[in-house]
Amino acid sequence: MKLFADSATSFIAERPDADARQLAWSAFEVAGLPTTSDEVWRYAPLKDFVLDNFEVVGEPTRRTDSSFAQQLCDRAGLVVRVVDGFCVSTGHAVEGVNVDIVESSMSLAGDSLARRYESDTFAILNGALAPATTVITVAPDTNVAEPIVVLNVSNATSSFSRTQIVLGRGASATIVEYFEGGADALVVPLSEYQVDDNASLQLITYQRLDQSAWHVARTTGFLARDARLRQAVVGIGAHYNRSRNDAEMRGAGSENELRTTFLGSGDQVHDFRTHQMHTGARSRSTLLSKGAVADRSRSVYTGLIEIEKGAKRTDARQTNHNLLLSPAAHADSVPNLDIRENDVMCAHASSVGPLDELQRWYLESRGVSREDAERLMIQGFFYEMLANLPPQLAELVERDVTSVLAAVNVVTP
Amino acid sequence: MTSTLTIEGLRVEVAGKEVLQGFDLEMHTGEVHVIMGPNGSGKSTLAHALAGHPGYKVLDGSVQIDGVELLTMSPTDRARHGLLLAMQQPMEVPGVRPIDLLVAAGVDPTNLRARMSEEAERVELRPEVLDRFVNVDLSGGERKRAEMVQFALLRPTFAVLDEIDSGLDVDALGAVARRLSLATSEWACGLLAITHFKRLLQELTPTAIHVLSGGRVVATGGPELSEVLERDGYEPFRATHS
Repeated sequence: MKLFADSATSFIAERPDADARQLAWSAFEVAGLPTTSDEVWRYAPLKDFVLDNFEVVGEPTRRTDSSFAQQLCDRAGLVVRVVDGFCVSTGHAVEGVNVDIVESSMSLAGDSLARRYESDTFAILNGALAPATTVITVAPDTNVAEPIVVLNVSNATSSFSRTQIVLGRGASATIVEYFEGGADALVVPLSEYQVDDNASLQLITYQRLDQSAWHVARTTGFLARDARLRQAVVGIGAHYNRSRNDAEMRGAGSENELRTTFLGSGDQVHDFRTHQMHTGARSRSTLLSKGAVADRSRSVYTGLIEIEKGAKRTDARQTNHNLLLSPAAHADSVPNLDIRENDVMCAHASSVGPLDELQRWYLESRGVSREDAERLMIQGFFYEMLANLPPQLAELVERDVTSVLAAVNVVTP
Repeated sequence: MTSTLTIEGLRVEVAGKEVLQGFDLEMHTGEVHVIMGPNGSGKSTLAHALAGHPGYKVLDGSVQIDGVELLTMSPTDRARHGLLLAMQQPMEVPGVRPIDLLVAAGVDPTNLRARMSEEAERVELRPEVLDRFVNVDLSGGERKRAEMVQFALLRPTFAVLDEIDSGLDVDALGAVARRLSLATSEWACGLLAITHFKRLLQELTPTAIHVLSGGRVVATGGPELSEVLERDGYEPFRATHS
């Protein structure tokens, strides 16, 4: 029995836009699953990946929120609930904010999802199998004071959620995309963010899925003139955590700050990919990727900065630091630059290594035990990444990360 | 109760070179001892070796508080036995907050943030600086003052102050020196201050001044010794050692 294909085709047949979905599904069947001989998949444990372990469901299953999810919602001005990819609640009305469930296969970039993501098998699958697109629109010049939380819970063995966030001119908002659940599941979220002229979006993507999940996520930001996108991506859970975070600085003076961080334990693989595309003049991107790998876990960071001809006085910076918490853990860092304009400022730096011995000594010399010093420093690795978040969220996520770190085994050389 | 710090025959190697060549000193709580000496005389080596810096290798000697040997202890245990080094160049520890450091070091967490602010004000440090990660984005002078906040809350029996005066303007130096001076009565802290400059001594009356040259103490005297150094420099002392 072909559980996945059979459940997918019957799911598609029942949807109102079955034709568009069928096109995407056919594209998936033609492309097939990636293999580790594809460069962009070479670090993924694909030999363990069996598509027929997953079933596409026609409706959301029951859900119970974790206590963390409840606390997160308590701090939100608006909660959008998504279960198994289905938006089950668009929350209550907040002035200037609209949440719509849209049956559409279009990208915010203007073309179809199938075309937009034609080289990305899992994004194509999302195009075929996401129940609908949850579209959050913030009206021009609206300043949304309280954070908006998109609570993604996965109970079924597959979940394809799709979120599009549009900030009108001069608007500002803080939005959290949170993921939990996902035991033995395939979780494939696809998110797009459109930030119009002078608008400012702060995004936090917090992934706390079960350690058995396959998480293949993709986000893309589209930035207009003087738009600002600050994004923090924190990956804790999943057996395989793949996170691709792209930004297109289309407008002059647009600015993207991306901070990605992960904690690897057991035999997890964290696979982070970023692509900052500069087409607008004077656009800026600052990318900081930091993560820690313990036990036998592995990580890879691959970042591409692309600067188009004409994107004069662009400033693009990329930094990647990896902390090795065990001799059996491994981290790879692969920065790439593709620059077609001369008048730019571009820099990248990367490092892989154990905890800094002198920083640890500094803490010890105050009377902090070695174990506590290491714990503080590893926590610090994450706290630094959360430093720009609104305090009420930073404090909550810090506490959660700290509880996870308490269980991580640190072996220093 | 008076405690005694005894350093005997301390020999320390750094980067393959024996920098400290038999250092001796005895001091008691409540006292202020000052170590002066030219560049390269071994002052900072002494400070780092006492605190167990991993880059400094102790070849021989003994460092004891009330007869308990510190050199065989980890840096953590040395601190817990009452020895604190206030560093010349306090290190940045990104992601770690001063309050978390202090709690992990065993400081009573009750009203701690308020107590930190109080101590910050005593050394003319803006209290909000203590909400940043340890020493990150702090100026040289702010770092020195942040070290003093840690010092005041950790309340060591003996504190080694490695050029605590450098990077501070005259006003800040006065405030830091007054805080240190108060500590010698408040909890009878013993201070071992390493300095290039006389100006620290204007607020902090030394029990004794020791001149370090070529890795050894070549002269010991009272406050008047700093006048001699001011007038004649280190040259006369340099000549006395082999």
